[in-house]
Amino acid sequence: MKRRHWVRLDNVSNIFPAARSDVDPKVFRLGAEVDHEVDPALLQLALEETFERFPLYHAVLRRGVFWHYLQDSELQPEVTAETEQVCAPLYQADRRTLLFRVVHHRRRISLEVFHALSDGTGALWFLTDLLTAYTRRRFPGESPAADELAEQVRPGASERPDPPPAQIGTHPGAQAAEEVHELTTDSFAHYFRGRRRRRAPSSHEEDFTREAAPAVLTVEEAEDPEALQAAGGEDEVPPAPRPPRRRTHRVRGTRTPDNRTRALELSMPAAPVLGLAKAEGVALTMYLTALFFEAIRRTDEGALAGSTMAASVPVNLRQFFPSTSARNFFATIRVEHTFGEGDDSPGAVARGLQEAFSAEATPEALERRLHRLIRVERWPLARIVPRPIKDAMLSVINHVNNRSLTVAISNLGRVTLPAPAQSHVGRMQFHVSAVRPQFCVISHDGHLTIGFTSPYVETAHVREYARLLTAAGIEVSLAAARTTEEELAGVEP
Amino acid sequence: MRTCAGCSLRIEGEWEHCPLCGGALHGRAEPSPYPAVPLRFSRRRVLRVLMLSSLGVIVLSFLAQLLFGHEAESLGVLRSVWLGIATTWLVVLMAVSKRRNLAKFIVYLVVAAGGVNVYWDFLTQWSGWSLTYVLPILCSASIIGLLITVRLIRMELADYVVYSGLTVLLGLTPIVFLSLGWVGVALPSVICGALSIAVVVLLLTLRGGAVRHELATRLHL
Repeated sequence: MKRRHWVRLDNVSNIFPAARSDVDPKVFRLGAEVDHEVDPALLQLALEETFERFPLYHAVLRRGVFWHYLQDSELQPEVTAETEQVCAPLYQADRRTLLFRVVHHRRRISLEVFHALSDGTGALWFLTDLLTAYTRRRFPGESPAADELAEQVRPGASERPDPPPAQIGTHPGAQAAEEVHELTTDSFAHYFRGRRRRRAPSSHEEDFTREAAPAVLTVEEAEDPEALQAAGGEDEVPPAPRPPRRRTHRVRGTRTPDNRTRALELSMPAAPVLGLAKAEGVALTMYLTALFFEAIRRTDEGALAGSTMAASVPVNLRQFFPSTSARNFFATIRVEHTFGEGDDSPGAVARGLQEAFSAEATPEALERRLHRLIRVERWPLARIVPRPIKDAMLSVINHVNNRSLTVAISNLGRVTLPAPAQSHVGRMQFHVSAVRPQFCVISHDGHLTIGFTSPYVETAHVREYARLLTAAGIEVSLAAARTTEEELAGVEP
Repeated sequence: MRTCAGCSLRIEGEWEHCPLCGGALHGRAEPSPYPAVPLRFSRRRVLRVLMLSSLGVIVLSFLAQLLFGHEAESLGVLRSVWLGIATTWLVVLMAVSKRRNLAKFIVYLVVAAGGVNVYWDFLTQWSGWSLTYVLPILCSASIIGLLITVRLIRMELADYVVYSGLTVLLGLTPIVFLSLGWVGVALPSVICGALSIAVVVLLLTLRGGAVRHELATRLHL
């Protein structure tokens, strides 16, 4: 008889099953466009190979009396043609299914993940391996030597970390907003991985338990709070009191007919957009956020002068606290701008946002956040509250939090894939299901893609966004998923 | 690729009009990177409303019985028919909502049907028939039903072990009532209790490890 291994869901991830709704299933999609029609049979083989290497992805989500927990399963994933909407629901209570799916349509391969399982960076590791395994099969002549492949290291593993972000912008915290994922192999890393493997062969069960552990508890340096406080130095200084919070402008609109996520995507060459951000002396994320505020201000009658717009920006904590966990490991930073109180040009707004962001994205500030996360994780009272009550509380917290946000943003940064995937993948895509307008940024091979998602049918803010970019002389192309009845009328599925 | 002059955008896919501004497009269309997914009208909201309003009607119809008192002899038949329909409807609702886990459904069934019968007995002058006959028979039948279900349907042990345990524990309650002297005829309660104890012993000796593992998982603090 099989005793399945399991790991309880950490507090950060617990918000996702609790806040999941018909409108926002808490699913995100990462995609890649290859230079040929996708071969489903080869993709299936590649998926099987990748699946073997990522024990976390074997998990199903279950409900206990006090916690949700991830349990190992024997389910096998299957590649399917894309027949559902972008970010279609993945997790349904009482139904035991894998928490991710791989779909293909024409030249695109997309990975969709339930957010309780992993975050964008974690999912990118999986997609990277999937694309590498697929292109190796599709273009056998271009693969590296076979013995090299046998020892290939999982991206994100301690032997193969993402490189630190490049210095962008003029502010000290600017790099926190810009990530770089150079997921290429490295022979030194192979050597070490190979040695460790031989010394300690581990079973699938052990792998599962290790990989499914909450990310905050995998940070070794953070285990000793005293050492950290000594290292942090001025940690004791309390943060400056916050200015009274103004009412935040919120975008409203017409819900899509079957609650599907409205997904649009703008793609463009990356260099000129980076040039625009650099000219303003800010990181790309903040520049694009400022453009988003401006686009909403132009289209939303409710957003008059004097209204405050706020965005939540996730920061990948792996950049600061080395962790090889693919589980959720991020903190969000809220930035805001009030219009009508000075210079409202996108450049000035971006600089203001950058300043606020940089103040919070320092290693010291993030360390404090990390400690708060660990404390909450170990807080006894949080443990003995039964799960349904926990879910209800988290759902309320999520709701209150949503009220103070206009938009949400996520930037996965620049991705570099290993050969032979790098030369056969063009644009990449990134979408997150959302209860409010959101945009997600990813760049690969000089192509920058901005994925817009929203629960509403209105697209005026994307139109203004695109016009702001094209007015700056950037060549932009749009791809959209049909959403409304009129858009779908008379189109062959 | 098509272009929209108004937005100065290139548009991918076979769009007649610009998805952003609705303006006319020029150029040759090429296949869209996104499939056209037909609308799926969700019935979930309708089902949820039906479910909640049904539950409301059922609870109200049970509560309404209290208004009529015990003596109303003429109500006898009508009351039984009414309660019978309400109970059936309750069981149907539970079966629908717990359809993915039969073992869980059996636990719900025992609790709901047992509760309704005791209430029914109370309404009809409390002669104790529910405790003497209905509860022991219901509990024994559900234990046997569960044993058959897990044999017939491919179920993973982890999925039913906790609910089997609960069903068996419920099967021990007639013994409690017997010892308290609330029961007229002892035989049904004795049979039910013996059956439950036999199954408990079997479960713990054959599947003891699995039971402990599953309980540790679900009750993990």
